[in-house]
Amino acid sequence: MKALALAIVALVGGLLISATVDFPDWGDPASPASLHVSPHYVEKTMEETSVPNIVTAVLADYRGFDTMFETTVVFTAGVACFLLLRRREPRPGPSRVYRHRATGVIVEMSQPPDTEPAPEVFKRIDDDWTPHDLIVMNVCRLLIPFIQLFGLYVIAHGHHSPGGGFQGGVILGASVILLALSWDLRTATTRMKETATGLMSATGVFIYAGVGALALAMGGNFLDYAALSPILMVDPVAARSLGIFFVEVGVGLAVMATMVLIYRNLASEGHLDQGL
Amino acid sequence: MSEQYPALVVIGPLLCALLVSVAGWLRPRLCLPLAIVGLGIAAAASTGLLAQVLATGPVSYRLGGWAPPWGIVYYVDNLSAVVAALVSWVALFNLAASYRTAMTDYPEKIGPFYTLYVLAVTGMLGMVVTGDAFNLYVLLEITSLTGYALIGLAGGRAPLASLNYLFLGTIGASFYLLGVGYLYIVTGSLNMADLAKLLTPLYGSLALLAAFAITLVGLWMKMAFFPLHAWLPNAYGFAPAPAASLLAPLMTKVMVYVMIRVMISVFTVEFILQEVALSQFVVWLAVAAMVAGALMALGQRDLKRMLAYIVVAEVGYMVGGAWLGNKMAMTGAILHIINDAVMTFCVFLAAGCIYQKTRGTAFEDLQGLFKKMPWTMTALAAGALAMIGVPPFCGFFSKWYLIRGGLEAGHWGFVGALLFSSLVNVVLFFRIFEIAFFEPMSHGHGGHGGHGEQAKAIALTEAPLSMLLPLLAAALGLVALGLATGPLVEKIILPIIPAGLG
Repeated sequence: MKALALAIVALVGGLLISATVDFPDWGDPASPASLHVSPHYVEKTMEETSVPNIVTAVLADYRGFDTMFETTVVFTAGVACFLLLRRREPRPGPSRVYRHRATGVIVEMSQPPDTEPAPEVFKRIDDDWTPHDLIVMNVCRLLIPFIQLFGLYVIAHGHHSPGGGFQGGVILGASVILLALSWDLRTATTRMKETATGLMSATGVFIYAGVGALALAMGGNFLDYAALSPILMVDPVAARSLGIFFVEVGVGLAVMATMVLIYRNLASEGHLDQGL
Repeated sequence: MSEQYPALVVIGPLLCALLVSVAGWLRPRLCLPLAIVGLGIAAAASTGLLAQVLATGPVSYRLGGWAPPWGIVYYVDNLSAVVAALVSWVALFNLAASYRTAMTDYPEKIGPFYTLYVLAVTGMLGMVVTGDAFNLYVLLEITSLTGYALIGLAGGRAPLASLNYLFLGTIGASFYLLGVGYLYIVTGSLNMADLAKLLTPLYGSLALLAAFAITLVGLWMKMAFFPLHAWLPNAYGFAPAPAASLLAPLMTKVMVYVMIRVMISVFTVEFILQEVALSQFVVWLAVAAMVAGALMALGQRDLKRMLAYIVVAEVGYMVGGAWLGNKMAMTGAILHIINDAVMTFCVFLAAGCIYQKTRGTAFEDLQGLFKKMPWTMTALAAGALAMIGVPPFCGFFSKWYLIRGGLEAGHWGFVGALLFSSLVNVVLFFRIFEIAFFEPMSHGHGGHGGHGEQAKAIALTEAPLSMLLPLLAAALGLVALGLATGPLVEKIILPIIPAGLG
């Protein structure tokens, strides 16, 4: 069986490699990929969309419909994780661990208490994770706002420099995950509630599709940002640039929320009480 | 409004899926109505689109207002319009039928369940109407992802089956993407119509042949064409009933549609018949699929798994028909996409109704069902007769075209395998009917203990009306489709058969 598999791999690999003899040379300026559609993008992007970054224009405008569905793929992955992983019933094993804030003494209760102790006196901590590292916690706390600021910059500056909704959204999501790692999952969940995360994930994609549908309602084709110019009160070309910005915001929101949602469900095995 | 139909077919359900997700967090009760609205928009728009295409010819729609090949276009001809209408209506009926099961089985996850359900249909519809090879891949991803999640939702072995499907499905989708990448390297275009034009001077190029081969193998993997079918029986057999009756009828059929679309609209039949010249080989693979699917179905002791193997055999019919290389067989293959979707839907939904009442679809669970669930079993019988190919049920007509195509091509193996698989279907379904009709409901089977089983036997009644009505509609649809074969073939299918086919 192994030999058969190896033979198939060799056969397919051989086919794929042998086909490359008909490929244009690496970086050949006369290759079909550089001659057919690309020149139009290179020459006309600024004139047609007023976006200096050609990649952004192709991604969010010329082929913006693909990108909308790529965002939907991210959203779908989040919903799928939630559907398969989230568990409402409490985790088996009755013990709960608390830290007395004033003294740092750790208390383990063999059964869950009837009433949660006051969180400002006893802080609940994870069963299997006790270190309480002042430096890591505080450095991360100070860094997170700057990380988020940078994330917003990357989203907003996708028109002019490498960046955009996906990249910025990942940075924003990573900032929340950093909070969960350096503090704990509960803190991150208090700051960004589960319902809010789920809603943001859907809202992000809705912003993208909604901008498209608005263009349709304004008499243009779906996602034809130029049709939005009467609402935005700019000329149709500038409307394209603005439309790209709106959808990038939607992408950023969806990507951030989905990352957090997936992380939480994976880290806590779907219980969202404690985890990495 | 009518010029916006192609967009509405896809964005109607997409926007509603997002609203369903929001409702799932805030007002779970609104999920089902919103899902119905979404699929209702899709069904209305695709039906309108079909009427429009039949009246005025193919429609193309520029997304974002950009002209091809720079932007993405939707291109809708008779074939895509009829498959889109089929997908949206079947999905809508199944949604109506699924709500009782969803409420009882996963009441806390109604929101994500309906979100993924509607997104799966959105993906299928997008694949059907798109005229862009890469856009098709993106939508394939959405349909696959939602499919994995919906299948894994059932407990037991379902998550493992889903994981297996995920591995193989991802390989299949990557192959398709790699093929599109090869095409882009040699042409610089992603638009299907543009590709068809640009490929003509490249005939004979090894890169083109490799692109065709890997695209095709990727699609075969996705449609579970023998011997790449290994994921399907477990995935559809263990899937929760609402997901099985959505994915089993539609997913494989949409993939067969994509294969035919890629064959006639991207690579063109001239290329396939003259340059590739693998028709004989592929048809023999199809023969193997029919025979193997039928034989493996014989070995099953569970209704849903048996049906899953029949799906494997049915994929063989359609791939074989598409590759026989004549008009008659291609007509049969396309007609069979439509017919098979409805009959697979009918039998899987019947299995879902049975599961809703008996909580199992093993053969022992079927005992005495004709007495207890007469309407469900009647619909199952109708689906079975269609699958066997008894006139006036629709299965007969597409098989008739396929057999005539096989005779015209002089391919006796194909004709023989098709008849063999139909005969095996007779055995398969009459075995079921024998159990359900003659064997009285046993007490205490399966080692559960007598008392509870007796209580179940008494309580067992017909499936709820919300499941029964869509099921009966599907059963009637089988006869209606059969009677409508003439106009269906003449008005819709014949105009799009490429002239290059003999």
